[in-house]
Amino acid sequence: MGQSYKQAIWVPSVTFNGCLQRELSWSCGVSKFLQIRKCNLFRSRTNENWKSFGTVITSAYLRDGSTKYFDFAVIGSGVAGLRYALEVAKHGSVAIITKAEPHESNTNYAQGGVSAVLCPSDSVESHMQDTIVAGAYLCDEESVKVVCTEGPDRIRELIAMGASFDHGDDGNLHLAREGGHSHHRIVHAADMTGREIERALLEAVVNDPNISVFKHHFAIDLLTSQDGSDTVCHGIDALNTETQEVVRFISKVTLLASGGAGHIYPSTTNPLVATGDGMAMAHRAQAVISNMEFVQFHPTALADEGLPIKPKKTRENSFLITEAVRGDGGILYNLSMERFMPLYDGRAELAPRDVVARSIDDQLKKRNEKYVLLDISHKPREKILSHFPNIANECLQHGLDITQQPIPVVPAAHYMCGGVRAGLQGETNVHGLYVAGEVACTGLHGANRLASNSLLEALVFARRAVQPSINYMKSSSLDLSASSLWTRPLVPKSLGSDVMHKILRITKEVRKELQSIMWKYVGIVRSTSRLQEAEQKIGKLEAKWETYLFEHGWQQTMVALEACEMRNLFCCAKLVVSSALARHESRGLHYMTDFPHLEESKRLPTVIFPSSHTTGTWSSRQLHQQPIVKSMV
Amino acid sequence: MAKTSLSRLFASLSEHSITKPSFTGSRSDSVTRPAYNSVTRFVCSSAQETQLIREERSNEGDREAAKENLESVNKEEDEGEDGDHVNKETGEVGGPKGPEPTRYGDWERNGRCSDF
Repeated sequence: MGQSYKQAIWVPSVTFNGCLQRELSWSCGVSKFLQIRKCNLFRSRTNENWKSFGTVITSAYLRDGSTKYFDFAVIGSGVAGLRYALEVAKHGSVAIITKAEPHESNTNYAQGGVSAVLCPSDSVESHMQDTIVAGAYLCDEESVKVVCTEGPDRIRELIAMGASFDHGDDGNLHLAREGGHSHHRIVHAADMTGREIERALLEAVVNDPNISVFKHHFAIDLLTSQDGSDTVCHGIDALNTETQEVVRFISKVTLLASGGAGHIYPSTTNPLVATGDGMAMAHRAQAVISNMEFVQFHPTALADEGLPIKPKKTRENSFLITEAVRGDGGILYNLSMERFMPLYDGRAELAPRDVVARSIDDQLKKRNEKYVLLDISHKPREKILSHFPNIANECLQHGLDITQQPIPVVPAAHYMCGGVRAGLQGETNVHGLYVAGEVACTGLHGANRLASNSLLEALVFARRAVQPSINYMKSSSLDLSASSLWTRPLVPKSLGSDVMHKILRITKEVRKELQSIMWKYVGIVRSTSRLQEAEQKIGKLEAKWETYLFEHGWQQTMVALEACEMRNLFCCAKLVVSSALARHESRGLHYMTDFPHLEESKRLPTVIFPSSHTTGTWSSRQLHQQPIVKSMV
Repeated sequence: MAKTSLSRLFASLSEHSITKPSFTGSRSDSVTRPAYNSVTRFVCSSAQETQLIREERSNEGDREAAKENLESVNKEEDEGEDGDHVNKETGEVGGPKGPEPTRYGDWERNGRCSDF
């Protein structure tokens, strides 16, 4: 069992200087390090206009051209963002800023379930143990304790809010048991749990007069200032992608709940919105990032490249082939029809999922191929069709009969265990900035996420961030002229449609190239030399892209959805590479061929601190902190 | 200068275009399945998940027959039926029909995995 964390692997800023690994002991716990103090820049003074306790807040948000003022700004509309919003809305005005439709989030695609101790024969200790074992002993024990302890209450609240979960005929919640759990503890709504939770929360949000939802508002950068050595967050700039207008949100408190970054890889289960926006913005705003090397892949997503009839549109998110196919006797082959699993593990196709994922990845890289084959065709046709009709239908639509032919599969990126480093109250090292959900690194998941713990983490930490946020909000007041402290982002109307078209086209290509580099060099099986090569290639690609933009008249403060997503993807990709280079052991999801074993002395989180950005790329600096020098060439 | 660097960029991008393998799609010969039963006593030192898969599989034989019956019954039921469905094995109301979605560790429905 792990001990609570007092040390960390500290990594200097994401640059090309390589990463030093120093073990620094800090005698105080994380929460002390992330102590919240009053913001001195804006004098602490009760402003009657902001007093909101018990009164209706509808008039409390003021509009000044394209600047809006709120007590709380929430970035993201998944379970973490919505849950938090509903609580803090009792104390002030809330803006939810979401880049697409509100339901477009990883939450909505989390179909399996939420884990919690809800059965008398289960225990918090058991849930904790399962979590820590799955996390390869890298979990922060206090975070694990908090989540496992508070989980059940969070589920009960969801039910009280109208979320409808499946129950037994005895009237109690039906609990399923997923891999890695030693008790039945998965609460679910058929197979669309995330969607059901999202639905219930959205309904409550829509009916709350203190919450304003700004959909199709893409968050660009956090608005921050320096107060001595402290960084303080005052809000966020966003682009209304429907009207192409920039909107500035000034808020006393900001919650980042922007989810994951699956799209740094070419094959991912995540919806298109998951481009790591929050992690990138936080890093640019001087927030500490942690454990980005731990990217969870699912080993067998349907590989569209291997289908006889390709899908007309690139699939937005992967079709995952269940472990049941292997459990029922499915065999994995490479494209030379060699059965490879026995080479890697005595359990062959029944080896743990992560072993299978590594084996497939290794085969693909060694053979320079795009997918492997999962063959169930040797089983009776009727069994195949009755057990796996979903797969059969999907493949048949694309010209493949799984009762006759093997299924093309490739690993897909699914979940980021790392993210913005959070304390036990969801606080970060940036004052006034809180995080919850997949964007956060709370220490719960450690080196590998236990099934169904992610929705739970989002619920618990969103709730925990509420009171500290309220306290912070009450102790601060806003200077309404604060809005002019930062240069406004600029919509690139002046470039003209021809140039914009070129820029969008090249950006699209660059994204694919980045994804390709990440998959090839920063996949499941890693090595120092491959990671270093990734660093080089990504650096060159980023430079080429930025050069192209600026040579075509792009200015430092210009914004467009695709370009902003691209800079966020670059930022996240580099964070993953840096973190991976820093961990000289294999643990959980991070596997290094030159450090293939666990090292007890390395059982520490990877932590990235940003340095002051006097140099660096456009992607690594806040938009309003660009250097005065105009030319980037 | 810009054009050259751009075309180099595009050139390097085209190298990553997908080439279709010459796979004939022939059925595999009968494959000797490894002796899974002999591996059941293997103690998993990493995630507990393998142990769970083992436990599920050792019970699988017993439940297989029951599942088959359940499936054939469920197949006849209307797919569009709402929450009245009661799972005969688990007593679950309104849950997914057919075999237990988590029987192999992940959450699956008709072959598609949605949580793991």
